[in-house]
Amino acid sequence: MGPVPRTLELFYDVLSPYSWLGFEILCRYQNIWNINLQLRPSFIGGIMKDSGNKAPALIPRKAQYMANDIKVLRQHVQVPIQFPKDFFSVILEKGSLSAMRFLTAVNLEHPEMLENVSRELWMRIWSRAAEKAGMSAEQAQGLLEKSSTSKVKNQLKETTDAACRYGAFGLPITVAHVDGQTHMVFGSDRMELLAYLLGEKWMGPVPPAVNARL
Amino acid sequence: MGPVPRTLELFYDVLSPYSWLGFEILCRYQNIWNINLQLRPSFIGGIMKDSGNKAPALIPRKAQYMANDIKVLRQHVQVPIQFPKDFFSVILEKGSLSAMRFLTAVNLEHPEMLENVSRELWMRIWSRDEDITQPQSILAAAEKAGMSAEQAQGLLEKSSTSKVKNQLKETTDAACRYGAFGLPITVAHVDGQTHMVFGSDRMELLAYLLGIFCGPGGCLSSPYPQGFQEEVHH
Repeated sequence: MGPVPRTLELFYDVLSPYSWLGFEILCRYQNIWNINLQLRPSFIGGIMKDSGNKAPALIPRKAQYMANDIKVLRQHVQVPIQFPKDFFSVILEKGSLSAMRFLTAVNLEHPEMLENVSRELWMRIWSRAAEKAGMSAEQAQGLLEKSSTSKVKNQLKETTDAACRYGAFGLPITVAHVDGQTHMVFGSDRMELLAYLLGEKWMGPVPPAVNARL
Repeated sequence: MGPVPRTLELFYDVLSPYSWLGFEILCRYQNIWNINLQLRPSFIGGIMKDSGNKAPALIPRKAQYMANDIKVLRQHVQVPIQFPKDFFSVILEKGSLSAMRFLTAVNLEHPEMLENVSRELWMRIWSRDEDITQPQSILAAAEKAGMSAEQAQGLLEKSSTSKVKNQLKETTDAACRYGAFGLPITVAHVDGQTHMVFGSDRMELLAYLLGIFCGPGGCLSSPYPQGFQEEVHH
């Protein structure tokens, strides 16, 4: 029997573009590194409130930087990500509470579908190319109803609180459990550092043996 | 004659720990990549003011994250960086204006010494928890970098002239025009285009923009150039 896989928890929100990039990179590495990737749908609005931080987009130069950064990362990370036309309406007004409650319900009832459904939601918000996640209409409807139960609302709150206890002031955060220690890294641009903490090899954001999924 | 080196401008302030990390990484790569590294001493206080941003340390969880992050990066980047004991006083009260004016003067008169003197100032504040605001502190850093006492004293006097003050302001304004909301920023001039990257954790992306990154299977993504990776890991 080989060494025990290290648990990596990825706390994310589909409202967060960098969460999508971190998610895709880790999904690619989950079959390359000796890790057990656990997806943790969280609510970025709750993290901002709890930490006293504010969305970077509220600082004009940060919004400008992000817009450009996403363009470059689209090529570098090979994810079809682009800024929605009405960025401020999407990010700052519409928010993501229903979507993240929905993903919480998916995680409770059909965790094997969480990766695909998360990706589908990111595609809708952050890309023009949306596909079907493979969920039947009945399944989706059932989960949508479950999304507004206290059980699901509380689960989302608990996951978000867990991220806060790990020290989150934004998303994505990746928490690596290595040799009895816990390391939290913020952002999608810290995967090389994560590899260092895991003692694994970093091969860039598009490692070989990646499924031609996108 | 080979291809023309690409110009990389590194805007930094010795008050900024991530500036030190970015600086050391780029200094290592300046003789490996086909680049012309231009150091641009800037004033982070001015950038914060102009952009409407605030020092991350003011958010408690960000301060906590930084403290931990710096510990890990110390090993990974192999720079002897550590938090000063009274972090808030050093960063938020004492600041870096005199030090950055001094480095501006160095850059005007003895640019070949800028790298060394910058490093010695970082070593004071971000390695040995020593002052960088008093004249004696700045002179000590300059002398440790190899400057004579007379040279250092002369530059210290020049630091308070309008010429030097204006130069620091101009450099800081240039960073702002590139879109800076903090430091370090690295500006790469590639094939007629300008790319600005923020932070010391974007060097892989910078390599990609410079067309140096090799892609799947092998990449110059380590903060140590290939061949030194064995020394870096824990």
